[in-house]
Amino acid sequence: MESEGAESSASGPAPVEVFSSIRERTIAENSMVILLQGLQGEVTTVDLRNESTARGRVVSVDAFMNVRLADVLYRDRRGQLTQLQDLFVTGRNVRYVHIPDHMDIMKTIQNQLAKIHRVRNFASEGGGRKEYAKKTK
Amino acid sequence: MEERERKSMKSDSKETAAAASCSSTTSVPEQPKTDSETGDDDALKTDVCSDKFDPLLALYSPSAPPLPFPNIKCFNNVAEYESFLKGGRGRAKPENVEKKRRKAMKGVADPERIERLKNLMVKKPESEEGESSSRATPRRKRQKPQKNVLTRMPLCKGSPLGELYRCVEERIRVKVHIRTFKGLRGVCSGFVVAFDKFWNMAMVDVDETYREPLLGEALYHEKALTISRLIEKLNLQESSGDNEPVKKHEAQKKSNERQPADPKTTPKSSSAQPTKGDGRTAETELSQAVKTTQGKHNVSMKAQGPEKKGPQTYGKVHTRHINQLFIRGENVVLVNPQPL
Repeated sequence: MESEGAESSASGPAPVEVFSSIRERTIAENSMVILLQGLQGEVTTVDLRNESTARGRVVSVDAFMNVRLADVLYRDRRGQLTQLQDLFVTGRNVRYVHIPDHMDIMKTIQNQLAKIHRVRNFASEGGGRKEYAKKTK
Repeated sequence: MEERERKSMKSDSKETAAAASCSSTTSVPEQPKTDSETGDDDALKTDVCSDKFDPLLALYSPSAPPLPFPNIKCFNNVAEYESFLKGGRGRAKPENVEKKRRKAMKGVADPERIERLKNLMVKKPESEEGESSSRATPRRKRQKPQKNVLTRMPLCKGSPLGELYRCVEERIRVKVHIRTFKGLRGVCSGFVVAFDKFWNMAMVDVDETYREPLLGEALYHEKALTISRLIEKLNLQESSGDNEPVKKHEAQKKSNERQPADPKTTPKSSSAQPTKGDGRTAETELSQAVKTTQGKHNVSMKAQGPEKKGPQTYGKVHTRHINQLFIRGENVVLVNPQPL
């Protein structure tokens, strides 16, 4: 769906994140979580509250800031490095999320908002299956 | 009979009078003037329209009295007539009449009624009726504009978040103090780009100064970190260069020695550091006061602790630069704007 996903080499077959519920979508669009959701497919570093860091590709971020990372290099507080295939970080354990330099924060947020808007107004903008479509182009 | 007369009089007296005169002329008129008194009298008495009308005589007269109006409605008794006058039991009832009138009015616009109903309507502040009728559905949608992170940011005027928004707008560099599970961890200095009500923040051009927390036992004996102490440590580290662990221990020892001697003066000296904000000194004073009341036992332990462990890598103050950083609001202790 996203051209952005296709561009980034790491993402490969980027899964299209569908908001699991309206509630989550509302939370996301009203908080900064939406920025993190815009990081999908990017390689970032997440600093955890226990002083460890995880660097990997963001698979998905839900409304509660739970982050799924793939191909992670996990560095614990003592500096030991571990390679992990997959890592799930609970929202509460997040301290920082580094945002890649090439990303514009505002633009990312606006893109995500537009995406939500598109999903919400899918039907009114002529999407979806039309039962009795009189005039179809 | 008299009822009939009354009725006819009521319906249209003028006409009846005229009609009566006409009808009576056929038989009566020439007789009263010329003929005998009795015949004239009888005719008059049975004539409904005359002044001398005698209902009894008319009732008992062998021939039906001449009726001036052939199409008149006949009632069987007085009660029937009375009920008719009241409006009857059917369609003549007043409410039925009213209903009929309304039915006739149906479909026809009644300007007075419309006006009355309009007054009853709840007035909208500025919407005009013509506009609302023309496009009702899109209006309803537009009345509740969608809010999101970005539209919410300017909405917190008059609150601490409003001040934060001012920092966003005027591009004021802010220091964000970050906590760890126990006390202060460090300070991030940068520009806030976006935030939300949880104090989640997106910052750019961030310089983070932080201390790695101690591990193990040392954690429990470590003094609470304050800004002044953080800066002090940083400066010490920078000035000491390579052999910093030793220097740092010395510095720590020094400060520990200083502390019990004169607890009141130490915070002052530390507040002489280039950190502004007098709240900090108060905080320092408080924490140190607590420490001193705990006694010299702690202090001596602390003085010994690092020496036992030898070169340590944690408890060290780091600085790093991050171009773009997202901070989860949970970790924010305070935000300090620094206009430069």
